[in-house]
Amino acid sequence: VSEWAGVGDVSTLEREGRIVARIGGRAIGVVLAPDGTPRALRNRCPHHGAPLCLGVVQERVAADLVGSYRLTGEPILRCPWHGWEFDLESGRCVEEPSLRVAVYPVKVEDGRIFVRA
Amino acid sequence: MIDCDVHIEIGDPEDVLAYVEPVQRDWFRVQAQRLGLPGYPWAHPDSFFRHDLEYEPGRFPGSTVAEVRRDVLDALGADVGILNSDEAVYLSLMANPYRAAELAGAHNRWLQERWLDEEPRLRGAILCTAQDPVAAAAEIRRAAQDERFVHVLLLGGAERPYGEPRYLPIFEAAAECGLPVAIHSGGEGMGIAAPSGGAGLPTFYIEWHTLGSSGSIMAHLVSLLVNGVFERLPTLKVLLLEGGIAWLPGILWRLDTNWRALRFDTPWLDRKPSEVARDHIKFTTQPLEHTDGHDELLFQMLAAAGAPDILCFASDYPHWDFDDPAFMLDRLPEEWRDGVMHGNAATLYGSRLGLVSA
Repeated sequence: VSEWAGVGDVSTLEREGRIVARIGGRAIGVVLAPDGTPRALRNRCPHHGAPLCLGVVQERVAADLVGSYRLTGEPILRCPWHGWEFDLESGRCVEEPSLRVAVYPVKVEDGRIFVRA
Repeated sequence: MIDCDVHIEIGDPEDVLAYVEPVQRDWFRVQAQRLGLPGYPWAHPDSFFRHDLEYEPGRFPGSTVAEVRRDVLDALGADVGILNSDEAVYLSLMANPYRAAELAGAHNRWLQERWLDEEPRLRGAILCTAQDPVAAAAEIRRAAQDERFVHVLLLGGAERPYGEPRYLPIFEAAAECGLPVAIHSGGEGMGIAAPSGGAGLPTFYIEWHTLGSSGSIMAHLVSLLVNGVFERLPTLKVLLLEGGIAWLPGILWRLDTNWRALRFDTPWLDRKPSEVARDHIKFTTQPLEHTDGHDELLFQMLAAAGAPDILCFASDYPHWDFDDPAFMLDRLPEEWRDGVMHGNAATLYGSRLGLVSA
């Protein structure tokens, strides 16, 4: 079982929007979800290897009718290279569910962010 | 064999004018172009028609039931021929939607009485005013009561791509009547249509015939898919005619790729556009691209786009680039032949073709 590793302060994440750290040789990104919680995932897109955490984080957009738009509340990260969306809960690519990026547990203690990767 | 694209011509404009209300007939008679129908910026440099056909002097080939019976139904062995009026279809590009609507109704009645009543193996296409979709929808609902009309015919040439919401009444009416909508290349850059291609009007007929006719079909296909027309109308089928098909896999791969990146802009598309296309889009064969010996490659690519289930034979009689069904049979992979020559169209048109005793 891997250990919790400190990756930075909540204040840094809130200021920068993302933190990239190396844990056990892997690049791990922490992003701030739209609901204000930190989410950790591997900083490598399974499609082309882009630095995933530099993409746009927002709620997934859906439609009930043609021409309408609504936010689903599900946090997604849109890859900075080709725009593929990844669900921050499951790590699955929304449009290509066969692709998945590793997501990791995160906890916050005394303003510090810890990731177990 | 079902021939999904048989073109007929108006032999004498007075034959159609007999179905126009009397007070309007003179308007159509005095227009610079026949019946006020817009013409091409470039005609075929020799003839739009096959040179081997016998026809009445002073008329175009394909102007009489006797010719279609002889040249298509009997000569090619077609069990059913679907008549897509060649010249009159350009009424959807007339500047005047009111005259166009009168002509559409007259044409459809002319087709019923002068063609469909004469030969039980013929089926008709409903012409309508794309420039006035509400009037078009009314005409579709009226004409569709005659089971011998098997699809609604729209032109590749258009003011905007057909996925635009303004055109919805046409697709709603067709879906409600259980009719596919057929979009046939032609008319790009004519009348009120947008110029063909994205680089302005081409110079030569050969450019139009290469690009204009396929580009409009691609544009309508992509527009219908991304505007969610098939999400709105889950029973709707669309048949794309004479725009080629070798480009289909490439366009769908490109569209799927862009959908993955841009889905949030069209979030009503909750599955790959290529999957929607497979469920709702059919293509006719003519002109199936000649491949300089690479047919195997072509059919492999087309198979990836679902072609064995979506391709329907069309001869394009009486035009110069006509495809003979025997030649097509030789080219098609053996396991595609039944579907392409008969089964796919039979499924698409259902009972409206079933009236024919083959």
